[in-house]
Amino acid sequence: MAPLMARPRRSQRRASMSSNSSSSTSPERGVDDDNDSFMLQPNDSQSSLGLDASPELSQDDSLRRQYEEICRVSPVHRLPAELLIHIFSRLSAPKDLQSCMLVSKEWARNSVGLLWHRPAMGKWESIHSVVQSIRKANKFFAYQDLVKRLNMSTLSNAVSDGTLYGLADCKRIERLTLTNCSKLTDISLRPLIAGNRSLLALDITGLDQVTNETMMVVADNCLRLQGLNVSNCRRLEDSAIMAIAKSCRHLKRLKFNNCGQLTGNAIMTVAAHSSHLLEIDLYGLQNVESSAITALLTSCPQLREMRLAHCSRIDDSAFLDLPNDPEMPISFDALRILDLTDCNELGDKGVERIIQACPRLRNLILAKCRQITDRAVFAITKLGKNLHYIHLGHCARINDVSIEALAKSCNRIRYIDLACCSNLTDNSVMKLASLPKLKRIGLVKCAGITDRSIYSLALGEVKNNKRVNGISVLERVHLSYCTDLTIEGIHMLLNNCPKLTHLSLTGVQAFLREDILSFCRDAPPEFNDHQRNVFCVFSGHGVARLRDHLNDQRNFHSGTESNVPSVADGSEMGIDDPDENIDTGSGTNTPVMNVNVMGTHPAGMTPVAPGPSNAHATNILHQAIQNNNHWAPQMGNLTHAHLQGGGSHLSQSAPASTGGALWAGGNANAPTQPPPPPPTHGHPHGNAQQVTGMLGATVLDDVDEGDETFGDESELMND
Amino acid sequence: MSSEGEQTVKLVSSDNVEIVTERKVAERSMLIKNMIEDLGAPGEEPIPIMNVSENVLKKVLEWCAQHKNDPAPTQDDDADSRKKTTDIEEWDQKFMQVDQEMLFEIILAANYMDIKALLDVGCKTVANMIKGKSPEEIRKTFNIQNDFTPEEEDQIRRENEWAEDR
Repeated sequence: MAPLMARPRRSQRRASMSSNSSSSTSPERGVDDDNDSFMLQPNDSQSSLGLDASPELSQDDSLRRQYEEICRVSPVHRLPAELLIHIFSRLSAPKDLQSCMLVSKEWARNSVGLLWHRPAMGKWESIHSVVQSIRKANKFFAYQDLVKRLNMSTLSNAVSDGTLYGLADCKRIERLTLTNCSKLTDISLRPLIAGNRSLLALDITGLDQVTNETMMVVADNCLRLQGLNVSNCRRLEDSAIMAIAKSCRHLKRLKFNNCGQLTGNAIMTVAAHSSHLLEIDLYGLQNVESSAITALLTSCPQLREMRLAHCSRIDDSAFLDLPNDPEMPISFDALRILDLTDCNELGDKGVERIIQACPRLRNLILAKCRQITDRAVFAITKLGKNLHYIHLGHCARINDVSIEALAKSCNRIRYIDLACCSNLTDNSVMKLASLPKLKRIGLVKCAGITDRSIYSLALGEVKNNKRVNGISVLERVHLSYCTDLTIEGIHMLLNNCPKLTHLSLTGVQAFLREDILSFCRDAPPEFNDHQRNVFCVFSGHGVARLRDHLNDQRNFHSGTESNVPSVADGSEMGIDDPDENIDTGSGTNTPVMNVNVMGTHPAGMTPVAPGPSNAHATNILHQAIQNNNHWAPQMGNLTHAHLQGGGSHLSQSAPASTGGALWAGGNANAPTQPPPPPPTHGHPHGNAQQVTGMLGATVLDDVDEGDETFGDESELMND
Repeated sequence: MSSEGEQTVKLVSSDNVEIVTERKVAERSMLIKNMIEDLGAPGEEPIPIMNVSENVLKKVLEWCAQHKNDPAPTQDDDADSRKKTTDIEEWDQKFMQVDQEMLFEIILAANYMDIKALLDVGCKTVANMIKGKSPEEIRKTFNIQNDFTPEEEDQIRRENEWAEDR
């Protein structure tokens, strides 16, 4: 069929038969390639694959004749090499590729490059076998030239110089990843890198024995290098980095974290020579001064990510010294991510200049920049819709007024952290709660917030009785040491935020109960007893189980209420009535949230329970609270029940009645009632002791959160 | 729908059969899309699809019609497609239930006509025919002759032993 196709295809076929086609068997197929324009260079076109397969060259003609015959009986032979490779590239298991190699010579030629592109380095047996094949004298293919990626980080510190030395013949490695292979030294790195002209990315994080010598070999050989991660290579000095910067002119991504000997000289040289720089991380370089940062910004116009955490010498001048010609205002439009964690010298003026100069910042991290005030936050509001991620933890001078303005101007914020901003109150959170894309909020040690904040977070923005933005997208909520919070608020949050996967409540007294803590994840092993006692973090299934548990308990209690009239007195029953009606009417005790959680409501519809239609948002809130207040007696009336002597059959968490007690923080809609006293019995933990412990455990404020500071790196990287 | 969507174009197969189809359908092929843009006057000049015969071209256009409203691939999708996945949506799976000759013709045509998504589906289909099979089973599936000597086969097996368990 299709005779017209035969000719062009056959010529492709012939090309594929020649040994030179090996280049195409190693397509760049990683998502994280640095290569960009680099791959366009025909660097691999002269593969030496044929060197070890030379007998086949002479057979080219006979192979072609064979092909014509074979193609007649076997249609798969119509596929040119490039398409065969395209198919093979879909096979994820090395075992499948190995099977392909054994099918026929043609299939072997077209699959070997894919198989050896990134040899398995996860087990000793495979490393041993790989090295053996590479070092073999008469091998079927020149495997050493097919290895483009080498990653030994799985075995990390078990890898020795001897192991790596066996791979020294692999001169075409493009990505070499030796993260935390801390036994490795110059002895094996130098011969591996010498003669390699292909290296694009080198990661030797944590190789603290490596010295300038290896870096000099990199500088002399790897002129195409784009990515260099030498984090924690503490022996490296300015001269090494300067040599690399001068000879590797395509650097795009640099990580020098904790290379404590590096100074501004190295960074200035990088700035002067690396006009393609996209990302740089100088975490913990305490000798780097502001002038180096000014130089980086001015000389690297494509810079999109700059991380300067714990560069304690940096001050406002790093940004105030940026060229500022009012006639020709320069802005650094490429910069999206700026991390200034713990740059303690930075003040409001610096932040104002940053916002002016970098108007398209998306992620701004100012955690522990303790000097900054509302003035800086007002400047940040100018980022408007561009701002997605803002970290202001430990910026304790910030007040509600600026955070409210921030929530208003920057309505695309997905991530906000305000840990230890102790001046903040419910007013801030209630504004932040209406951010339509908010996925993560950190309020650790914002002790001024109450359940009012949590109700707002649960409901999002409410207008005319409807959630404005459909189902909540909130995923991670950090509330440790927000000591006034109660179970009602969190219960409602759980039921209204189906995507919630992380909830931390460490040190919040109301949650330090055995039944609740049973869903809490394990405390990190390094925590002491003290820290363990207050640890309360729910993640993944733990969140769902906590939600189910609270719902079950409430259903159980509402069921028993009618059977246990003796527990409550008449007046309380009176208040109880509307509550019961709503329950009956909706057929569930959790009208507000079950609707949402079960997904029976289409997105955008009101998740509010059937009931009298209220014209105002506050009514929703009120109603929600009414529906939620089964828990209230636990806080307010449990003692009461016991005093009456009627509560002995109740579990420690069982409410004696559904009285009128509302949430602890009080609310304008609620009947006036004094704040309920904290539970004083029925809790297995010694609360008094924990309170002291909690107050003393300031060190914990961030520690209990998996991602409290920078754990959400992946989020930062996603764009 | 825009007027562009209602336009038709004339395609001519390698065996000289004229096929009229909706422009939007035909433009799933980047080859045709570029040709239409170059020609300037769509619908008048017939577009030769020199390497594809009528029966294959019809089959390819059937796929294009089914997928004519697919969103253009984003960069994310591109990154995804580079991941080694062999998931195929149901309609495409059924579409690809053809004999091997047609299957490879579709792949070749998708490649020639520059229809990335169809090429992908085709390649995934073939990859799924390979997955989990022994070399001998693969040879049987595709009717491929083993041109290795037993010694060569053994050598390759040993040199690539590391790939066996992971």
